[in-house]
Amino acid sequence: MSFLERTLEGLHEAMQRAFEAEHSAASRGLLQQIDARIKVLGLFALIVAATMSRRLWPIAALLALAIVLTALSRISIRTLVSRVWIGALLFTGAIAVPALFLTPGTAIGSLPITRQGATTAGFLILRVETAATLAILLVFTTPWAHVLKALRVFRVPVVFVAVFGMTCRYILLLLDTAHDMFESRRSRTVGTLSGSERRHMAVASAGVLLNRSSQLSGDVYLAMQSRGFRGEVYVLDDFRMTLRDWAALATFAALVAAAVWAGR
Amino acid sequence: MLFDLDRVTFRYEGVIALDDLSLSIPEGSRVGLLGANGSGKSTLLRLLDGLCFPQDGSIRFRGSELTEARFAEDDFACGFRREVGLVFQNPDVQLFNPTVFDEVAFGPLQLRWPKSEVRERVAGILDRLRIAHLRDRVPHRLSGGEKKRVALASMLVLDPAVLLLDEPTASLDPRSQSQIIDLLVEWGGGAKTVIVATHDLADLEDIADRCCVLDSGRLVAERAPAEILRDRDLLERANLVHAHRHRHASGAMHSHPHEHRR
Amino acid sequence: MHIPDGYLSPATCATMYAASAPFWYVALRRVRKALHTRLVPRLSLFAAFSFVVMMFNLPLPGGTTGHAVGIGLATVVLGPWAAMLAVSIAIVIQALFFGDGGITAIGANCFNMAIVGALVAYAVYRPLAKRWPVVAAGLAGYAAINISALLAAIEFGLQPLWYRDASGAPLYCPYPLSVTIPAMMIGHLTIAGFAELVISAGVVAFLRRSDPAMLQGGASSRPIPAWAALAVLLILTPLGILAAGSAWGEWMASDFSDPAARAQIAAQSLHQPPPAHAPQGLARLATIWTAPFARYAPPFIRGVSFGYLLSAMFGTGLVMLSCLTVVRLLR
Repeated sequence: MSFLERTLEGLHEAMQRAFEAEHSAASRGLLQQIDARIKVLGLFALIVAATMSRRLWPIAALLALAIVLTALSRISIRTLVSRVWIGALLFTGAIAVPALFLTPGTAIGSLPITRQGATTAGFLILRVETAATLAILLVFTTPWAHVLKALRVFRVPVVFVAVFGMTCRYILLLLDTAHDMFESRRSRTVGTLSGSERRHMAVASAGVLLNRSSQLSGDVYLAMQSRGFRGEVYVLDDFRMTLRDWAALATFAALVAAAVWAGR
Repeated sequence: MLFDLDRVTFRYEGVIALDDLSLSIPEGSRVGLLGANGSGKSTLLRLLDGLCFPQDGSIRFRGSELTEARFAEDDFACGFRREVGLVFQNPDVQLFNPTVFDEVAFGPLQLRWPKSEVRERVAGILDRLRIAHLRDRVPHRLSGGEKKRVALASMLVLDPAVLLLDEPTASLDPRSQSQIIDLLVEWGGGAKTVIVATHDLADLEDIADRCCVLDSGRLVAERAPAEILRDRDLLERANLVHAHRHRHASGAMHSHPHEHRR
Repeated sequence: MHIPDGYLSPATCATMYAASAPFWYVALRRVRKALHTRLVPRLSLFAAFSFVVMMFNLPLPGGTTGHAVGIGLATVVLGPWAAMLAVSIAIVIQALFFGDGGITAIGANCFNMAIVGALVAYAVYRPLAKRWPVVAAGLAGYAAINISALLAAIEFGLQPLWYRDASGAPLYCPYPLSVTIPAMMIGHLTIAGFAELVISAGVVAFLRRSDPAMLQGGASSRPIPAWAALAVLLILTPLGILAAGSAWGEWMASDFSDPAARAQIAAQSLHQPPPAHAPQGLARLATIWTAPFARYAPPFIRGVSFGYLLSAMFGTGLVMLSCLTVVRLLR
């Protein structure tokens, strides 16, 4: 597969993921009903708990919990497997497998694997999968604009929230632009190109994209000024705490406390 | 007089976009700016909106000259931005916020309206333009017509006295086009001033009572729409008349210079 | 390389967040002063561009392909501070919304790739930019990504030293510095480094023809950042002290007869026992040069860490001086 094909596939994957996340966030699952700020805090805290644990079983329990939440939030297991697990397993698996053999310690029976090696590999894989599942839970149950506004609970400055929002909005546009550019180049490419021709194509595409981004930023600035922008950034959020949200907050707090205590 | 342009020249990157242009626009008028691409229509609209300033000549809005220094004054800038609104041609430039709601709320927030009032006004305008169901949508995935309505909503929420529009019906399907035109006609009544830049001659008589024709940065004509549409020579010189191809029932295709008429 | 969750301990992650925060703060202030009201659209569009460019599969010499971070390019076009922010923003969005890189690891990823990357790229680009802009950009990108990889390798390699459970199993990354450094550097000195070089040099060459005005950003910042970067690296050098014992291969002849040292050598070499006597060549050559600061400790210094820090500063100073001399000569 040529670099064009691979790039196109990568761009397409990203656009698909964004589309799926948007669609999933609009459905009526369990987590979709909960205030974005609670989710941001709670899921982040669970990820930290999974990272902190010094024992394997609390991490496994958190993973099981994450899977249950996924199912309750109407996210298909297939999505989970294809978007999160396979990639993480392949990458981290490749890194974890040598540890089985190389970690010094007590051997298991007659195998060249040590117990410590198995434990380490277990830690790595479980932590990666759990964190990735919890992260996708956040993003697939909350519209991304809400996720960004909810970041204010971490005292992220308003200007960054505004910049994040505009960046995400234009990432979607630039993904399309880059996709169209590469599609048109692919359709015009006859036969195989030499290495330097291919490099030139890739670099020229990046250059054109850069020009477009720069021009857009100038035009968007004018559009912002036209609507009264004078440098101050304002963010309007519609976050309201309901009874359900308070219950969710309490539940998350309890779970995090339990996970941290169990993994100490 | 609402806008007074006196011998305005605007250069950008060595190219003369507007050349010694003088024009007066009274309050309450509905003006059509006609011209092919590159004739200077967009530049003129941006100058009228105080987004850029001429190198030669002057622009006055209700007697006050529009200069960079003037816009540095808080009072003047806020007042002007509320009174005059510009809808850009490219919706991807116009819609820069994460959601439709944020987009429409942007203007009022910049003018420091209280948040409860902002929410009310935004909900009201979304209802009025029948896009309330698009509230939490990302602008990227909206259709052309929906984007234009969101762009208009983000402008109309401030209830400006002057509306500047750059090619509002460009690249829209016919139904969306007519919806936008209807909206403009309905809203444009009374003391509101509407200035529309377009190269689509079809709906000119509906939306404008005066037409200014631009060609290479110069004002070449200023008359009533009906008169302009009759003047074939002028339209050809200004590159507003295009060859039109169509297929007859017999299956034959032919083309001839043609302008759209109602 | 985007570090995922689970490879770095919470303490390491927190440290990296804490290390990044002052740079983000300073960068925001400087960018605000430089861009004023243009900050929001300019940073956003460039961060969006960075994000998309990171997805490009770049064809490299030899038929392979690789991905670039684009920090060299960002630094040339925007200057180090805005580049630092733009790439940080892209990294955060990748981690949050696209699952590329861990959320607890955002601090580490931003520090390695965006912050140190931008400062290193700037330090390399600025002195050479006037004479050889395209080459300077390419080298800046290459140097930046390799230093980033080195930092990541150090972060990885320190994990098994500090974080083990009761049975001795490493809790996070299980590979020591002796494995992580070569493993990371080989991939980056070759593939990833060249990807970075291609995109930085290539796009700068493209811009020189199509839109030279865009290349002004990189030359306008004051040169203080380069010194700040080196100061930070100097301060981080005592981390080396925590790699207890000698690094692999850095042994003296007398280590072969000392039982404690022998045990250490064995442990570091996958339990291969060292030879009973020092190899002949080692014994002969070891006495040829007696370094002024034997064992990294000037004789008059008592405290181990302080001695190490002093040596590091002296060593870095020497390296810096040599680099600057070379650059001066090239001008």
